[in-house]
Amino acid sequence: MLYRVIDASELPALVSAFMKDYEVVAPVPSGQSYTFEAVDSFDSIALDYPTTITSLKKYLLPPVETLFTFDAKQNEVTDFSVEVVPRVLFGVHACDINALNSLDIVFKDARYPDPYYQARRDKTLIVGISCTPSETCFCHLFNADEARFGYDLFLHDIGDKYLVSIGSVEAANILEAACNVREATDEERIAFHNATRRHKESFNPDIPDVQDIAMLMDAFHEDPFWEELGGRCLSCTACSSVCPTCYCFDIRDTLDPDGDTGRRERVWDACTSPQFALVAGGHNFRDESAIRVQHRMYHKLNGFLANHDRMLCVGCGRCVQACKAHISPIEVLKFFDEKGRASGLVNDPESNSENREEVACD
Amino acid sequence: MTSTALEALQVHPFHDEGMPKSGAAMMHENPYRPWPARITSITDLTATEKLFEFRLIDERIRNDFHHKPGQFVEVSIFGVGEAPISISSSPSKSGFIELCVRRTGRFTEKLHQMQCGDIVGLRGPFGRPFPFEAMKGHDILLVAGGLGIAPLRSLINNIHDERSEFGKVTIIYGSKNPSEVMFREQFEMWRHRKDFDLYLTVDHPDETWDGEVGLVTKPFEHLEISPENTYGALCGPPVMYKFVVQEMRKKNISYDHIYMSFERHMKCGMGKCGHCQIGHQYCCIDGPVFNYWEAKNIQGSM
Repeated sequence: MLYRVIDASELPALVSAFMKDYEVVAPVPSGQSYTFEAVDSFDSIALDYPTTITSLKKYLLPPVETLFTFDAKQNEVTDFSVEVVPRVLFGVHACDINALNSLDIVFKDARYPDPYYQARRDKTLIVGISCTPSETCFCHLFNADEARFGYDLFLHDIGDKYLVSIGSVEAANILEAACNVREATDEERIAFHNATRRHKESFNPDIPDVQDIAMLMDAFHEDPFWEELGGRCLSCTACSSVCPTCYCFDIRDTLDPDGDTGRRERVWDACTSPQFALVAGGHNFRDESAIRVQHRMYHKLNGFLANHDRMLCVGCGRCVQACKAHISPIEVLKFFDEKGRASGLVNDPESNSENREEVACD
Repeated sequence: MTSTALEALQVHPFHDEGMPKSGAAMMHENPYRPWPARITSITDLTATEKLFEFRLIDERIRNDFHHKPGQFVEVSIFGVGEAPISISSSPSKSGFIELCVRRTGRFTEKLHQMQCGDIVGLRGPFGRPFPFEAMKGHDILLVAGGLGIAPLRSLINNIHDERSEFGKVTIIYGSKNPSEVMFREQFEMWRHRKDFDLYLTVDHPDETWDGEVGLVTKPFEHLEISPENTYGALCGPPVMYKFVVQEMRKKNISYDHIYMSFERHMKCGMGKCGHCQIGHQYCCIDGPVFNYWEAKNIQGSM
């Protein structure tokens, strides 16, 4: 990765440079929290934000998107296109970049690349920024506290300067034209190293690191815990709305008032919605909230891992704040942390070595 | 949105009619695009099921549309929506696609009202098929319950086309009552031939019924099979799988020689929308055909 340094005072110039050719979307204050919105000046951007209420997925997968328009009388597709706004997502945290990388796996690099997603993704630049973990952050547990790829620039805060990782030629050209870009000194590299270490040390220690979470979930698939957890679910689907990696959707036809023409749309949908697994004839494969919540948690913490070797959950903590019933991956981690130790499946560092051997023999 | 952004708005068309393309390239360009298909034949099967025959109108699409037994298509009626329906015809019936459709909701209600000559949209085929080539040289045991005959009919007809490639072929087809037995004429014809060992069974017989009586598992009682040389294939209502698989296992058919087609609501067909997920698998791309070993490893499959 190519590293360069710019002064913090040069950021406004960088943002202005982006604004010439792109819509710039960045975190802005919203009530008690923050949200990603299109901005028209650097001053409205909140660089030091803990997290946003909703994620960036809406810029690649709009909540409602027309796939095509049709003439129902003639049974014909009339228009087939996607409108794309060239866009810079500015000030994106590592967890959210990792989330977009997971969406890329499903929509861009899959057996069936999604042409709508792809058209938007191709016209999107991503500028990441380092962060300070909040109480509900646990990205470090799922390897999502660092963005290894998937960005055009990443701004690492090292005091009144930024160490900039440069990920694309397009962004490099804009950066070099707008800012005084310098080689990093050894001192600045050390500052970056120290900032990274501090970042890793500043996560909430009450959220347990359960490395074997996927295995434990399989081992205790039938545990009454799931009934208790999922039984509380209100099926409001807030969790998946705010989740940066929930990508499920419904496809529906909407007719214009004349009844002759209309459009096929895809709209966000959620596996925690009661009708989600309903098939024709009335059979519902996940007819209880407990099964639905379990299914969602499995996809986040187990299933995607099995298919793609990475957790789908990036530990951003948005669902922790959105859920009125206090259901979240943190609850799952806490339960399995205790379960793993109580059952002896996972070694308790506090137990003595003799006990551990006994467990291994079982 | 800022004014700059509005000016920068770009529209990507997904079709370029000027370019001569293969059907495969056209379908690949936007896999959400349904292609017009004309209904060429409609056969009443039961009070609630009809067999529709379709022909894709664009020759390029038609020539590049190749399905295998066990795959499905997404059928569009513009303004009503889209539904995944498994293909009932053999791939050897080139240029035509047959779908067996039960009238059970808004979409299928509308489809049942359509006439020969009417046009729908089709896209696909999607999904992992039965391992037809691997099945060659083996005995085949097919078990269908109710509408489960729809996807299995594609396999049955394909086996019929290449009958000499297979050993003993046994078909068990269970229905609730005689009026719900589909493709009865075809089966009646086969009953008198040595190609297939056929067991038609109903739960509730009437005075005309001369087939078996009882659940679809009943014929297993007197079934003789050589397990090391047999492939099982099954499809039916959700409740059926566990019991039929049990019977096949009792006959010592290997886990990975028992294939089953699952029913879920595949909305996109391309492993994205999530509606057809079973555990961590997508029924639309990882299935709908799974072998029993795979199914055992998917939570919530049966």
